[in-house]
Amino acid sequence: MKKCFITIGLFFMSLPLATPCFSAEPIKIGALYSLTGGMSSIDTPSLRGAELAVKIINKNGGLLDGRMIELISVDAKTDQKAAAIGAKKLLSNGVIAGIGHSDPSFVLPSAPLFQKKGIPFVTSGATLPTLPMMIGDCLFMVPFGDDDQSFAIADYSFKSLGVKNVAIWTDNSMDFTKTLSKFYKQRMTELGAKIVLEDFFMMGDKDFSAQIARLKNVSPQPDAVFISSIPNEAGLTTKQLRENGLTLPIVSGDGFDTELIVTVPGKELANDVYFSTHTYRADPRPEVIQFIADYEKEYGVPPENAFAPLGYDAIALIADAITRAGSATPKALKESLAKTMGFKAVTGEISYTRPSRVPVKGVSIISVKKGEYNVEEIWFPTTK
Amino acid sequence: MESNRPRYCLGLLIMFMVVFSLGIERTANDYILAIVSFTGINIILAVSLNVTNGFAGLFSLGHPAFMAIGGYTTALLTFSMEKKPLFLPDLPQWLIPVHLPFFPALLVGGCFAALVAQIVGISVLRLKGHYLAVATMGFLIIVQVLLNNANSITRGPLGLNGLEEFTNVSWVAGWVVVTIYTCWKIKFSSLGRSMLAVKEDSMAANSLGVDLFYTRNFALTVGAFFAGVAGGLWGHLITAVTPGSFSLIMSFNIIVMVVVGGTGSITGSVTAAIIFTLAIECFRPLEENFGIYGVGEIVISLVLILILIFKPSGMFGTGEPKFVTGKYKQLSPTNGK
Repeated sequence: MKKCFITIGLFFMSLPLATPCFSAEPIKIGALYSLTGGMSSIDTPSLRGAELAVKIINKNGGLLDGRMIELISVDAKTDQKAAAIGAKKLLSNGVIAGIGHSDPSFVLPSAPLFQKKGIPFVTSGATLPTLPMMIGDCLFMVPFGDDDQSFAIADYSFKSLGVKNVAIWTDNSMDFTKTLSKFYKQRMTELGAKIVLEDFFMMGDKDFSAQIARLKNVSPQPDAVFISSIPNEAGLTTKQLRENGLTLPIVSGDGFDTELIVTVPGKELANDVYFSTHTYRADPRPEVIQFIADYEKEYGVPPENAFAPLGYDAIALIADAITRAGSATPKALKESLAKTMGFKAVTGEISYTRPSRVPVKGVSIISVKKGEYNVEEIWFPTTK
Repeated sequence: MESNRPRYCLGLLIMFMVVFSLGIERTANDYILAIVSFTGINIILAVSLNVTNGFAGLFSLGHPAFMAIGGYTTALLTFSMEKKPLFLPDLPQWLIPVHLPFFPALLVGGCFAALVAQIVGISVLRLKGHYLAVATMGFLIIVQVLLNNANSITRGPLGLNGLEEFTNVSWVAGWVVVTIYTCWKIKFSSLGRSMLAVKEDSMAANSLGVDLFYTRNFALTVGAFFAGVAGGLWGHLITAVTPGSFSLIMSFNIIVMVVVGGTGSITGSVTAAIIFTLAIECFRPLEENFGIYGVGEIVISLVLILILIFKPSGMFGTGEPKFVTGKYKQLSPTNGK
């Protein structure tokens, strides 16, 4: 025990000693990602993306006449308590901005602490559209809101796929999936489509035969099924629907943006699947190609999923705002972030023009036909 | 003759807590304060679970469920009136004007958790051993499912956020003293003795006139009350409560503290709670500087395994160490005559 105290003590005492070593004071940015626990498969790529961005910026001479970025990473352990403690730790380290989290349940305990100190927090992956309203003017989102991705796929299924009757399956155990279904239903009803069946499952379910039986027996037969799920169930539902001889189009949101919808059912069965997601996969823009090349060079593997570029974008967004502000104080950074217009991020252009402060960002509609991913269209929200 | 040592220890504890909480709130940064507060909350949790698991021998996995009940109740009662319509638009009419200050809200949260424990106890306490463990686990899952689906009150899986940051070191220190004092008094009362008897041999205890059901239910209720209070403190420390936080993993963590400290030993639970909470934080600099995340959990699990192998009764066994209780002035046969 005593040794632990000494270790902690020495660690904190050494902090002021380490500071004068740098000629220009580094710009400290805190990263809060769950590197252990259930969220680690999507949070770890985000951190690697963020670290890559920091490395590239520092290699090119840093920001504001040679000030380097120092990324301080704290593990949120897929735990709210650890997320709150981690945020406090970063704040006592004097960071000028925080990034992190791919789920609102972890943004909610940590971002308000940043808000209280007036330090901006940029979430790289949480898509809940009411987050900026709930937390305050220090919260910025890199991704689009869940409403946008649902509206995008609803518009596409109604207008391009001609869906008039639709069945909706929802993972009832998560806020993300419930929100997605809510907005999809809202838009489809507005457009004049009919919801013929609503069915539910839980995260971790392996067998969907009951839902499939109900889907087969519903009248009128739906033209498509909207499945609101996260990656694990995305592959399984696709596989089991197709194996049961149902060929109707499957539509979904960014939970389907995973290799699992091809690897689990196999190429033959992964057919007629459409989902809305971050403009990244199968996208030929130069930023995307450059990012993938850099990531492969740094880590030896291609980016694991869309959360890697989102983490990269979070740092790039902050760096851009610091450069425009010409200052690295939290207050200047916050004001400059809020004025972001048409910033070319890897996952699409970001502008904060809405009163809700959810970025106005393109949403990709991707089709999967016989295991091949194709971008069908890029959907843009009508700015409100 | 009982020694006066426990009274001195209590006095010392109170004095220490007052000096410590006042001192640390002036000097330390938010990070240290948060760790100290969580340590205190873990002490409350471990000591109160010790009443249920350690004294009465009811292997309950449901502690986080009572925390959740207390946490949500307190959160709803203290929720700021301006934010209510914005955050909880579907709240039932009668709940909208209800508002209490922090302290009464904590008490109501604790009492509500205790009330639920009474009701649950009526059905669940007919079971023994691992059946009871499974039943309390079932109760925990029921509470989680309810919280996940009662959208109008709990906002579902997203949970409640934007709570006021009421909890500070002084509040936690106060409750730590109250919890330790109450549990100590229970342990060394006739009721506590009957709890220990029920744990060792329920049939023998019953034949000596101990009401098994009443004793067990009381142990569960007391544990639930303090768990509820701890839930309220917890929610107002991290300013958010979600169903996912009060999970089986949390109940595992609290049980580890009780087992390592010694089932039935209050001193043990306090020590283990302090060690476990601080140890995880001690490994943070190591994890962050070398990029080996998760090493803290691994080391702690290893320590747990080693303790279970070499000292299965925990650090202090069922009793309290001599430096707290003092020596009992026994009436030995020679000087008794």
